[in-house]
Amino acid sequence: MRRLKFASLILVALVLASCAGPAAPTPTQPPAAPPTATPVPPTATPVPPTATPVPAKPTQPPAVEEVRLPKVNPLEVTGDIITAGSSTVFPLAERMAERFRDEGYKGNITIDSIGSGAGFERFCKAGETDISNASRPIKDSEREACRSIGREPLEFRIGTDALAVVVSRENTFITNATKEELAKIFADAVKWSDVNPQWPDKEILRFTPGTDSGTFDYFVEEIFKKDKERALKATNLQLSEDDNVLVQGVLGSPYAIGYFGYAYYVENADRLRVLSIEGVEPTQETVDKGTYPLARPLFMYSTAKIMKEKPQVAAFLNFVLTHVNEEIRDVGYFPASTEALNAAKRTWLEAMK
Amino acid sequence: MSAQGSTPMASDATMRALARRPRLRESVIQAFLFVAGAISILTTVGIVAVLLRESLRFFASPEVSLREFLTSTKWQPQILEFGIWPLVNATLMTSTIAMAVALPLGLAVAIYLSEYASERSRSILKPVLEVLAGIPTVVYGYFALTFMTPLLRAIFGRDVVEIYNTASAGIVIGILILPLVSSMSEDALSAVPNALREAAYAMGATKLEVAVQVVVPAALSGIAAAAILAMSRAVGETMVVAIAAGAGPNFTFNPFKAAETMTGHIVRISSGDIAYDSIDYNSLFAIGLVLFLMTLALNILSQRIVQRFREAYE
Repeated sequence: MRRLKFASLILVALVLASCAGPAAPTPTQPPAAPPTATPVPPTATPVPPTATPVPAKPTQPPAVEEVRLPKVNPLEVTGDIITAGSSTVFPLAERMAERFRDEGYKGNITIDSIGSGAGFERFCKAGETDISNASRPIKDSEREACRSIGREPLEFRIGTDALAVVVSRENTFITNATKEELAKIFADAVKWSDVNPQWPDKEILRFTPGTDSGTFDYFVEEIFKKDKERALKATNLQLSEDDNVLVQGVLGSPYAIGYFGYAYYVENADRLRVLSIEGVEPTQETVDKGTYPLARPLFMYSTAKIMKEKPQVAAFLNFVLTHVNEEIRDVGYFPASTEALNAAKRTWLEAMK
Repeated sequence: MSAQGSTPMASDATMRALARRPRLRESVIQAFLFVAGAISILTTVGIVAVLLRESLRFFASPEVSLREFLTSTKWQPQILEFGIWPLVNATLMTSTIAMAVALPLGLAVAIYLSEYASERSRSILKPVLEVLAGIPTVVYGYFALTFMTPLLRAIFGRDVVEIYNTASAGIVIGILILPLVSSMSEDALSAVPNALREAAYAMGATKLEVAVQVVVPAALSGIAAAAILAMSRAVGETMVVAIAAGAGPNFTFNPFKAAETMTGHIVRISSGDIAYDSIDYNSLFAIGLVLFLMTLALNILSQRIVQRFREAYE
């Protein structure tokens, strides 16, 4: 089932790659690129009709020429790396660290899954982490905090998540929701019928990420226009930092609904159903085009100073940027556009000058 | 508890020999035991001090009023709603359900073991029962979520029973504290002197009458103490409710709906990414303090009961 899903995803991606122009940036993406980011026009290479899609190996030719970073040999990298931040980025960061170790890295790499906000707290206030993972761009206040301890954060775009709004497969009445409906479903309404009279006269059971997670922040910003209070006043609201608790909860009843990072949906795709938002289903195509309304960028942050003082950090970031697209679909997220990755790579090159 | 036990039976010669011998090892052991005792007491004192200090900081912040804390039925620290009732209510619900399960069952088990069981079956049954006490509570948590909840849902219907609910957590906590109730009550029952039983038999009482009308009343203080200790264990139980009871502070009296207990809330919030010294961080200590006061009150009550209603038969 999951395999099939992947296969079809890859196929869609393959077809798309040929016709995709420079992808529109996702709504919340900040201007991360250094001034040197000049997109090369897409080379119109026809897609070879590969009939055996293997998730890990992207076969589509890049629409834009890739920036190449100096090759890292994990066998030669020593020293520890400390990272913390978003629970959404966590599965991806862990996968990359695993591969880094598999290829010979002998040091310790810690990845704490504590939420984007807390990640920045450790990175910018305590200054104890080398890399901060985030499912949203750094806030101005956090950037200020970083500067005040002498850290100038650099942003590396590593991928894209399509926040998945999910219901159990037993739920038969909802397949699509507008943002307005989502706001009602996740806050003001008590019963489904309050949102849409055709829906059942049953209480809505809500399962959302905890208040400090980047996912919650993002959802509140997109759906409630930052009105946290409205979101938290909902009845039958359950919050957890543990996405598996949310999955269990949503599976528990046809009248339950929840949201989390796409990877957690993929893991349970046989039992959960993902909703279309404003009529757009989250797929590689809609995420690339920027039409899926709840697509958001995933980042890693570090500084030039850390990267120079701790070559292992620079090596790991290099490794991530070089290989992330080979792993990202398998983890359950979507590759960032080549432009965005190139911009990140240029940032890396700039920092190491 | 006299630290230096004298031996009145020893002869004069050995006494003199003992007195002459340097008691270095003895004093080392004494010092060690003293330190061990002191550590456990100091730990308690430290915990209370930290709880008090941080809770004071919480109540001192301008967003919080003691009145709201004690009267409001909304708890959502992120939007400055600090009414402890949803959490206290959920805690009381799970522990009441737990007691409803553990008390009758535990007492029945204790009566059986002490009055009816043969020496042989008792020597098998008691250890088996005590195995229950050795199961990690996280296992009980998943037992509640993956066995008890589906069972309840099969009985009462899926629309009635939510996936996370206080009933299932409460029942499983009841099973968890069952050994505590039964083993302490059994001790109390066994301590009742045989003369009482024999007297009752001599009056023509049946075995059931002896057990229920003579032995149980005689051991009531011990049973009550067991019940209260079990209750304070149920109030403090964390893992089961964290897994099975729910993850949102809902104020509800329906045991089939999700709710969050004090301990469950502390676990969920503190394992997330909470900023030190923020108001919601401090609020956890206020909850901790309330929890501590509840269990302290229960423990004091149980001691009082033991002292006040003890029937001395020797």
